[in-house]
Amino acid sequence: MKGVLLLARAHLTSALRERITLFWFLVFPILLLAILALVFGNTGQEGSIQFPIALVNEEGPTTEGSFSAMIVSIFEGMANPNAEGEPIFSLAEPDPGEDPASFLDREERLLRQGDLAAIIVIPDGFDDRLIRSFAAGPSAAPPALQVYINRNDAASQMASGIIEQVLAGVNRQILIRSGAIDLTDEVSTDAVWIGGREEGPSYIDFLLPGIILMGFFTAGLFGVPGTILFNRDRKILRRYWVSPLTVPRYLAGFSLGHLALCSLQFALLYAVGRYAFGARLDFARPDIALVLLLAVLTFMAFGFLIASIAKTANAGMALANVLNMPMMFLSGLFFPISGLPLFLLVIVYINPVSYLVDRLRAGLGVGTATMPAPLTIAVPLAWIALSAFVAAKRLRWDVER
Amino acid sequence: MKAFVSLVSSEIRITLRDRIGLFFTLIFPLIFILIFGFLMGGLGKADRAVLGIAITTGTDLESLEGALQGAGALKLVRFETVEGLTDAIASRKVDFGLEWAGDALRFVYDPSHVQENYAFEQMARGIADDFNLRRQGVTPPIEVEIVQVGGIESKGWFNLVVPGILAFSVLSAGLFAVSGHLTAMKERRILDRLIVTPMPPVALLAAIAFVRTVIVYLSTLITLGASVLIFHLAFEIDWPSYTLFVVSATLGSMGLGAVIALLVRRPASAGNLANVLAMVMLFLSGIYFPVELMPSFLRTLSKGLPLTHMAVAMRYVTGVTEMSPARFWATCLSLLGIAAVLFPLLARYIVRPERR
Repeated sequence: MKGVLLLARAHLTSALRERITLFWFLVFPILLLAILALVFGNTGQEGSIQFPIALVNEEGPTTEGSFSAMIVSIFEGMANPNAEGEPIFSLAEPDPGEDPASFLDREERLLRQGDLAAIIVIPDGFDDRLIRSFAAGPSAAPPALQVYINRNDAASQMASGIIEQVLAGVNRQILIRSGAIDLTDEVSTDAVWIGGREEGPSYIDFLLPGIILMGFFTAGLFGVPGTILFNRDRKILRRYWVSPLTVPRYLAGFSLGHLALCSLQFALLYAVGRYAFGARLDFARPDIALVLLLAVLTFMAFGFLIASIAKTANAGMALANVLNMPMMFLSGLFFPISGLPLFLLVIVYINPVSYLVDRLRAGLGVGTATMPAPLTIAVPLAWIALSAFVAAKRLRWDVER
Repeated sequence: MKAFVSLVSSEIRITLRDRIGLFFTLIFPLIFILIFGFLMGGLGKADRAVLGIAITTGTDLESLEGALQGAGALKLVRFETVEGLTDAIASRKVDFGLEWAGDALRFVYDPSHVQENYAFEQMARGIADDFNLRRQGVTPPIEVEIVQVGGIESKGWFNLVVPGILAFSVLSAGLFAVSGHLTAMKERRILDRLIVTPMPPVALLAAIAFVRTVIVYLSTLITLGASVLIFHLAFEIDWPSYTLFVVSATLGSMGLGAVIALLVRRPASAGNLANVLAMVMLFLSGIYFPVELMPSFLRTLSKGLPLTHMAVAMRYVTGVTEMSPARFWATCLSLLGIAAVLFPLLARYIVRPERR
């Protein structure tokens, strides 16, 4: 037992001494978690995004209390909020005395080139038309504000959605103030989440289980064949075999060391997710711990499968690289999967990562289970059995003489 | 010139023999495109969302149908029962749902669509507002007229991602070409043998750069061709600009790879460092999600990354978005400048056999 523990410690310390192992197994998952959480964690919320937009008021200098003045002040207010945090828009307006037409030309060019997200144009005569349409009643055509967008620019599309929402709010305020709508007669809107949740999960709660499994997956896929094959090719393993150490004891020590590495990885990711990004997931449950353990074992076994197939360490790394991305992305680790053609669905359904992430997210209450529950255990176990069988038959523990 | 031709010929043989390297340069971007094309064909395009509807009453049907028809390019799928709708959402046959039993508009969401639910909720709000106005016979006092600018016809989201992936594959191929290849030659002492011949180091570098540029160019063409054939994407390629950009981007990336070769000594470490840099740049360069979504410090960082500018230029030369000619030339010249400054440093590295 002591020998096994010593081997486990040796495996863990040698992994932690390798700067590149440290990066890919510990730093990269944390970096990815941080980047994705920073980018998508506050989607649509003020203070987290900023779109450069321009506003052209062709009405000229606005009269206080006019509709055009109200719209200008709303967008100026959004570009210069009183509260702390970044404004959702950075707003460009013509300089005093600048011709609105030439300003619009310049901003249109910027919009076409992707340097601006949208332009709002209040057309000449807007206020008069709005008053006339009120006087004439619902039969009169309402005046239109123009929103220039570049449909080939994702930021422009998002900005236009926000601008339309702001203008819908303006419309609503005008209708309420004019008494045109009866608020008591409005139909209420409810949001319901399948799975019985009262609200949708936060992005970090959805992301964290995926990143944890990604960490385990890369540790198994790259770490296991990397260590075994490089040690074999450099004849380090041969030195073990001249000692009383047996392959099963070596495997036990290696597996314990790998488990310790994955535990460290989990602890760091959990700490960053919880304390830096506010994740509220409860991993301290036996069923969740079992899924995590099953994941570590499945991916470790998968690593042995690769080590058995590849003839050299470089070939093993290349094979791991080729499998890494399809298995990671065709599993739902980062986003739900739907609408795939049959040949990719086959990969999804034979991919153990798909079952493990489905089980983990459903267990943590941040996703709906799409796989039958028994399969989420059976398929990873089948992969462990298959990998163990192939490794027992094919894995060479020493270089060919 | 004779040395250059011989080196080119040997470099071609080395490249063709390195099946793993060839696979990653030629085929890997293709796998990238295939996976992301099928997987994310609809992601990020809110107007392709599928809304399931279960209406179990005759109340205010006209207003509801009007609001649904006015909700843009939403695809509507109807269900007889609420259970049928819930099952369809759970099995991801529809993106989100709407139940109308005459009392409240009940929008049903799948928590797994965590990145898209924000857009679905926005759409739901729009439908509800419109429905309430129609029920009371009121029209919005101000209309919003969307004016699309740009001479280029609107493309799908994935059409914008493909040039970004191409730019990424050019960057990583360039980084690896020099960092991995030269450090491997150094480690195997091939460089030591070469420098005792009359071969000028610049000829070796030029041969590597020439062969790698041709391979990268072919790789981008294969990937572009596959994306057109499989996903029916539309590109309007300006071939002279495309060629100029791919050549300058490959050389510029090799110049950056030269820095890695100078910093690390082992080929495995060089490859790993190149991989790390490429990966970090991939997430921060606006290829998969707009830079505007990032916090301000990441937006600033993004502007300083070469891949951000390479992705913009690649979109421009493939006719997907516009770019000012001045910015395009500035990008190309900067990349060529990086190569021009860093390649001589690399030549010095080659002739210093004592550095290991």
